[in-house]
Amino acid sequence: MSTALIDLADVSLGYGGAPVLADISLAIHRGEFMALVGPNGAGKTTLLRGILGLVRVLGGRIDYNFDRSTSPPGYVPQRDTLDPIFPLSAIEVVLMGTYAKLPPLRPVRQRHRRLAAQCLEDVGLAALAKRQFWELSGGQKQRVLIARALAAEPDVLFLDEPTAGVDHQAEAVIIDLIGRLNRDRGLTAVLVSHHLGHIQSLVHSVVWVDDGHATKRSIDAVRSEEGVAGLFRARD
Amino acid sequence: MNELLQILSPNFLLRDALFASVLVGTVCPLVGVYFVLRRMIFLGVALPQVSAAGIASSFFVYQLFAGPHQQMQGSEHVLAMIGSFSFTLAATLLLALLERRGRETVEARIGTTYAVAAAATILFLAKDPHGDAQMVNLLKGDILATTAASLNWMLAIFGAIVLMLFVFRKELLLVSFDRDLAVVFGKRVGLWDVVLYLMIGGVISLGVMTAGPMATFGFLVVPAVTVRMLAGRMLTFMVGSALVGGATAFAGFYCAYRFDLPLGPAEVALSSALLLVAWLFASVRRALLAWPSRSGEDMR
Repeated sequence: MSTALIDLADVSLGYGGAPVLADISLAIHRGEFMALVGPNGAGKTTLLRGILGLVRVLGGRIDYNFDRSTSPPGYVPQRDTLDPIFPLSAIEVVLMGTYAKLPPLRPVRQRHRRLAAQCLEDVGLAALAKRQFWELSGGQKQRVLIARALAAEPDVLFLDEPTAGVDHQAEAVIIDLIGRLNRDRGLTAVLVSHHLGHIQSLVHSVVWVDDGHATKRSIDAVRSEEGVAGLFRARD
Repeated sequence: MNELLQILSPNFLLRDALFASVLVGTVCPLVGVYFVLRRMIFLGVALPQVSAAGIASSFFVYQLFAGPHQQMQGSEHVLAMIGSFSFTLAATLLLALLERRGRETVEARIGTTYAVAAAATILFLAKDPHGDAQMVNLLKGDILATTAASLNWMLAIFGAIVLMLFVFRKELLLVSFDRDLAVVFGKRVGLWDVVLYLMIGGVISLGVMTAGPMATFGFLVVPAVTVRMLAGRMLTFMVGSALVGGATAFAGFYCAYRFDLPLGPAEVALSSALLLVAWLFASVRRALLAWPSRSGEDMR
């Protein structure tokens, strides 16, 4: 019997009917910290978005062995996909995470506000709750988005390049935070990254995405010279 | 001052028109906020024109089946509302569908819509024996013709829309701010888009029939753009836009009454003046906030 939280069986993903990734078979297990790694443009984000239902599945099957309506996945998008025209404070952004379990006509209540405040505290930004989201540094914005994902009270957290465009210090803080969430809360985490860097000591498994395929590899294999060299190989 | 007291008097002859004007000024910015946030401001130019084409088409249909008319009232008024609303909604949904396909640029889609709607308005009215007069009414709005009955209708429709905006604000915000997250959360984003477009269609139709396309566009966009420069939170943004729109409509009505000016342009001119003031204020504030850090950099 499979204990996987999410099962991908011969999945093909793509845009406009043209597959970007094909024949992907993967299992994401409860409590696992998985990294999707590969060169730029290889399809890591497409794979993550496909698992989340944001990219069309052209073939195969994705099974979610949990109830997405009662335990929706937490999602941390690349922060430059969000539009700075929205006047939002940090706490307002986090509060959006609580909307996951709020059906229409059900208002945001005090306990949702407390949950949002707690999530912001969990990422170490309680003091910045009322600050404008767009005035925060790149690393702080990313932590606010992680807090928003936590406010959905998810079983699994998906993060799309959470350390892209932040300095080394902020990167270490973010990676440490995700590692703690995985270790201390048993939160399953799937993270897209174009390099192993800080995450290699924390992840349990690595999925190598390249040439239209995604294969699970041991960390040792990826750590090996061949794997690391492959990460930085220039694409044709 | 005397004119202001006259306007505020309960027996003011144009009281219903004043209320209608303030209502349009208050409610249009509430949906206008979403025009600004979704970066579809130009749609705010095209849709009132589409709504005008809908009204002109209803004039055309009316005179085709019921004979010539002198002024828009009674069943013709209802027909105009149906024409305006159906044209606006159809155009909004069509534009949303084309946007999803994304084959043309936004400017091309909206520009074409505006051109087609403007041409259709003139062509429909050209086939109407009273087309010229109707055209002038359509462009200026027919706010002075507001009656107690039509004001009640406006209150009911606008009230329902404001209530929906309030009740569904979390869904509308989530779908507008982070569509992907809304999908991940299992929200029906297409449905919420349609709900928003229905509200936009309702507000624009009623706004154009009451105040004309120009004033409607002005109130859709200018107060929201003004307040966006100053607001730091969504609630402030929405409430502030509505208050600025309502206050500008009242002040515009006063100016039009006091100086014998056309109402729509007076309201838009006042809104624009306020926008300029807000821009200057925001620029000065930004400069002051940046000043210490710049001087610090100079010292380093």
